[in-house]
Formats: sequence, structure tokens, C-alpha cells
Amino acid sequence: MAGNRPIKFRILELCNKSEGAWNYEIVKQIQKEYNLKGDFQRDSINFDLIELASGGLLKDVEVKVDEEGIYKKGFLLHKYVITDFGKTRAADACLMYV
Amino acid sequence: MDLQSLKKQEHQRRIRKGFMWAFFCAILWGLWYIPGTVVWVLNPFDEMYGEIAATNGDSTSLVITAVLITAFNALTVIMALMVWNGALGKFGEMKRTIMEFKPCSRWFFLASIFGGPIAILGSFISMGFVGGAFAAVAALMYPVVGSILASKWYGEKISKRAFVGIAFIIIGGITIFGGGLLTELGNGNIVWIGYIGGLMAAVGWGIEGAIAGKGLDIAEPDVGLTLRFVGENIIWWIIAIPLLAIAGFPMIKYALLVFEPLTMLLLIFAGITFGFCYVTWYKSFPLIGVGRGQGIGNLYGLFAVVFIALFFGDIPSWTILVGGALCLIGSSVMFSEDAGQLESLRGE
Repeated sequence: MAGNRPIKFRILELCNKSEGAWNYEIVKQIQKEYNLKGDFQRDSINFDLIELASGGLLKDVEVKVDEEGIYKKGFLLHKYVITDFGKTRAADACLMYV
Repeated sequence: MDLQSLKKQEHQRRIRKGFMWAFFCAILWGLWYIPGTVVWVLNPFDEMYGEIAATNGDSTSLVITAVLITAFNALTVIMALMVWNGALGKFGEMKRTIMEFKPCSRWFFLASIFGGPIAILGSFISMGFVGGAFAAVAALMYPVVGSILASKWYGEKISKRAFVGIAFIIIGGITIFGGGLLTELGNGNIVWIGYIGGLMAAVGWGIEGAIAGKGLDIAEPDVGLTLRFVGENIIWWIIAIPLLAIAGFPMIKYALLVFEPLTMLLLIFAGITFGFCYVTWYKSFPLIGVGRGQGIGNLYGLFAVVFIALFFGDIPSWTILVGGALCLIGSSVMFSEDAGQLESLRGE
């Protein structure tokens, strides 16, 4: 069920596919599901992604420069996938399937 | 610029941000010592101390009065944090996080037990039974506990370099309080409970950080921290104060006397500085790790002495120069660590 569990749980769910997910896709989807509008909320969700990656729960599998301004022009776009550590950590929190 | 260097730049930005948060934490923590010191001589706390000291002795009175002061501190902190979370629009996330007791909120409530009654009370016990300098030095040891726990428990990477930095900052802190420490320890007849208090402070804050780091894996720092203070308020206001009141201490009487303008003003100042010191502390953990966050946070010792000198005109002894220099070396050792080493804070 979307929108009623902590945002980081949902992010881990969204990154739990073999090909990973782009940060701008995740941010957009979370904004929609949780009804969070505006640039501040957008950046705050992206920061959750950064924290998760820094904590070793996510890792980036692909990086590209945002040439067209999909998210922020000139900055990097990351494609994240959940790590084994992230899966273990998520198993006792939010990803029931594991 | 190629992809690799852009990536490196991005990492550096993240690390810098983490260190910046931890540094702000140290400044705010140091600033907190101003209201934290002054509040003791204001009523109703001054009167309360006198009344309990007359019947139960100075040391007991100090600890009991500290409970009431800490409880009010926790109350103004939670007020500041509610405003903060409201401004950030995070009440929704807070509700979602509270509901997840087992994976999330449990950790923050646990953190509140270690950081609140164990660490803060321990700190006051060591202050009361040994002295202020000993309490400050004992508390400085908490990053050692925190970083060892975080590394053993969930494999946080703590490089040799970070550890050297932490060690320098601790030695620096000990040097700053060194003179006072020797005088206090030289007094003889120190009650053992004072040392236990020091141990409680170091272990309590260290464990708090490690536990918080665990909870912050999958929760927002602002929200997690607020839950931690909700827990602390419950401990003081629903458990400790009623128990002490039942035991016959005049807790309720003095709690109701707190509405004096100057006292209120100071408590609010304490709430804001302590609250945001914690905000920045918790925000630094996911970015640079518990060990580094706590190590840099430890600079509060230096800032506290500086702010107290500025505001109260207490000229610190020359040891502050040596201690301050050691702290500076320790921080530079950590700041200058290659960001590439810190791409992920956990070993895969």
C-alpha cells in the first residue's frame, strides 16, 4: 500500500528491481503517492536517496549528466538498486517478500 | 567535466555537508552551556536546590534538581522540534514513522533511554559527586563507544584516520579541562557513584548514537530525532518526576513555579540550542557515519569553554590553547580524509 509507510521504506521497494530505478523517477513517484508538492519536498526526497546510498542500503549502477534538466540541469542523475545489505535491512522492516 | 570527476565532486559535497552538520552541532552544543549554566542560579531551581540540600545533602540535591531542569529542557526541545518539523512539512512522515514501531520508532525510543536518563543523568551525577571538569572529560569519551559499537554492530566503516582524528579531539578536550580535572581528582574522598556517573555519560551517548544510526537507516533524521525526544519527555514527565514526587521530593511544587519570565526565556534558549544541536547531530550520521559525526560533535568542549569565556568573562587557563590546537588538528585529520574512501559508510 502506497502513501502510508515511511518514505524510505517505499524508496527501498521502488529500488528493488534488478535493473534499478532512476532518482528522478523515484522522486516523481513518491511525490505523487505521498502528495508532496514543490521543489523543497522534491529535494528532500532526493536527499533520502542520498542518505540511503551513503548508508550502503542502495548503490548506483548507472550515472549520467542531466543535460536536459530532467531533474536539475548540469547535475548527476543516478540509477539506484538495492544492495544485499539493504535487502537484509529491509527484510525486517518493509519488504515482506524476502 | 567527465563523469568520474563529477561523481567525485558530488561525494565531496555530501561529505562536506555531513561535516558541516556535525560542526554546527558542536557550536550549538557549546552555546547550550550558557543557558545550561545560568539556569541553575535562577528560581525556582535555585530555591529547589537549597530546600533539598538542607535535608538530603548537596550531591543528592544536585541530581534531583537536574532531573527537573532536564525535564524542562526536554520539553522546550520538543517544542522547538515541533516548530521545525511543522516548517519542513514532516508531520505526515512523523505519523508514518511512529506507526512502524518495530523497524523504526523502537530504535528512537531506545535511544531516548540511553541519551536521556542514562547519559544526561550520569553527566549530572558525575558533576555533583566529582566535579564539572570530570563530567566534561568523561562525556568526551562517548565517540569511542559510539564508533566501536557502530562498527561491530552494523559494520560501519571507521578508518584509521577517522580514529586518529577522534583521538586527537578527545586528548584536546582532556587538555582543556585538565587543570580542573586534576584539582577535582586530587580532592580525595570521591564517592564511587561519581565515576559511575561519568561512565553512564560516555556509554549512554555512545550507545544512543549507535542505536540512532541503526534507526536512521530507514527513517528520516528530523522525524527520528523528534520521536527520540517524545520518548525522553515520557521518561521524565510520566515516569521520573511522578516517582520522585511520590518519594517525597518537591517536584510538582517547583515545576509549577517555573513561569518566571527570565527562567522561561532561558529554558527556551536552551531548548532551541539543544534541539538544533541534536538535529544537526542526527543529520550528520547518515552522511559521514556515527563515529565521525560524534568525533566532530566533540568539539563542543572547546566551544563551551569559549562561549562561557565570552559571555561570563571566565578567563580559561592557558591549557585551552594547547587543547584547542589538538582539537583543530584532530578535525583537520578528519576533514581532509579522501572522500573516495567514504563513498559508502558500510562495508559491502
